[in-house]
Amino acid sequence: MSISLPTYTRRDMPLLGRGHRIRAIITSGLRREFKRPAAIVTVGVGTLITTAWSIISVFFAPFLLPGQPLDLSFFYTMAANPAILFFVTLMASVIGSGLIADDLDTMALSLYLSRPITHRDYLIAKAAILVPLISMVAIFPLVLTPFLAALLGRFSWVIVLQAIGLSLVIGLLLTAFYASVSLFLSSITRRKSYAAAGVFAVTFGLTIPAEILSLATRNQSLLYLSPWEDFLAVARAAFGASAGPIDWPGALAILLGVTVLASLATYIRMRAVEVVSG
Amino acid sequence: MDDLSVAIPEGAIGLVGPNGAGKTTFLRLLLSLVRPTSGTARVLGRDIQDGVPLRERIGYMPEHDCLIPDMTGVGLVTYMGRVSGLDTNTSMSRAHDVLQFVGVEEERYRKIAEYSAGMKQKVKLAQAMVHDPELYIFDEPTTGLDPRGRSEMLDLVRLISNSPGRNVILSSHILPDVETICKYVIILDGGHQIAAGDMSRLLSGATDRLRIDIRGDPEAFVRRLSEAGFETEVSGPGLRITRQPGVEGAVFQVAKALGAEVRYMGAEVRSLEELFLDLVARTDAGGG
Repeated sequence: MSISLPTYTRRDMPLLGRGHRIRAIITSGLRREFKRPAAIVTVGVGTLITTAWSIISVFFAPFLLPGQPLDLSFFYTMAANPAILFFVTLMASVIGSGLIADDLDTMALSLYLSRPITHRDYLIAKAAILVPLISMVAIFPLVLTPFLAALLGRFSWVIVLQAIGLSLVIGLLLTAFYASVSLFLSSITRRKSYAAAGVFAVTFGLTIPAEILSLATRNQSLLYLSPWEDFLAVARAAFGASAGPIDWPGALAILLGVTVLASLATYIRMRAVEVVSG
Repeated sequence: MDDLSVAIPEGAIGLVGPNGAGKTTFLRLLLSLVRPTSGTARVLGRDIQDGVPLRERIGYMPEHDCLIPDMTGVGLVTYMGRVSGLDTNTSMSRAHDVLQFVGVEEERYRKIAEYSAGMKQKVKLAQAMVHDPELYIFDEPTTGLDPRGRSEMLDLVRLISNSPGRNVILSSHILPDVETICKYVIILDGGHQIAAGDMSRLLSGATDRLRIDIRGDPEAFVRRLSEAGFETEVSGPGLRITRQPGVEGAVFQVAKALGAEVRYMGAEVRSLEELFLDLVARTDAGGG
């Protein structure tokens, strides 16, 4: 038996571009999430319940939604399903809260940012792990409903295509809002439980008090504080449903503003994290 | 950091300095994670502001624990290869290659959470090697290792630094490690460069002086030699004496008279630790 010194070979392949590197983080992140029971259950149950509700609503619309005209506004009732709010919040907290906080906690951020990627690449990759999972609840059921309705012949394809397009847009708005907020919360703490609690606080800690105070004071503008009410206002306007307690332009500005601000704040926060510490 | 002007040759370079000396900032600059407020620098021929293209050619082994505990050793190294730009197959193949090189054999399939400190250090080294960089930055690679682990890690660092086309920057508080591996050293203190140069040149003292290590009373030794007209001073554990005709004979005469034992007399060679302490003391005296 011969003993030789350990050695390793020289790399002969060129390095692939940044797109490949970002995709590597995304695929690895998604694979890790689908190994976590909490993430699997949340995504599975959330998708099942919201999709089932959409299918049942289409099939049994005359019984479940009596008096609801079968026009574009029908699809607002799908978007207003409270199960969407609950599961989007749950996903953002179960999955999104750990995406950056775990890397801060294990200090794996040093490994990522000493690689040939930028802070922006890292954040895009992390957001891209979360967005498809949230969209399983926030977009998929909303797009499926008009498609099924068209197959059943309940709506004309013109309305269905409009509904699919609008569902995509408002679903993306909700997804982007929760993705940016949960990533921001995840970036400011090493403990993902704190970030998860923060996501719930943003949703229910604002929505419930806003609803109660609005009723008690009869001041409906307080509902702008609730992300869910803001989303509903935008959805109502998009699908042409009857006007609600708050106006959609203000609600849309709040949702977009918070999304952009949270994204910027996350980027600034990540730039400030010391990757090489001594 | 301020007032740093140094041209670092290829090979193994040591970076030493007390806490707060600027070593970490220096490493951040090399990795293009911070930008200099003034001045310029080039690493491997590239401007340090180049960022991504520069980091493609650098492998960084952090000081602190930074591994993802729920991944296996081979999974993590493969993943880091892909994040560096290797395709999946190449990355997997190189992960096995470098893990074998660092001595992580069957354990590579276990989760990192189950690894010992030594194994974790080896995986940290492997992830820095996976994309085959030209420059390795090792930040305290022997921290937390037992003597055997430390020796293994130093052997690996030495093997890498002796490989053609590979350069090593070794930042460490353990000066004997730096002394045994590096051919060039940069010493920082208070954000300034206080010495930089070839290790052997820096450690060899002035040619016009001798170093004498004795067992006995050094103060009395110095007094007797000074009385005999030889310029002598106590330096660390020994003495330094200016070379002049008859000095060797005078040293032995004084030793005989005092009953002291001359254990070494010859060229003045300092350890890196002695040089470091000497320079830091001089800087403190100058600054104070």
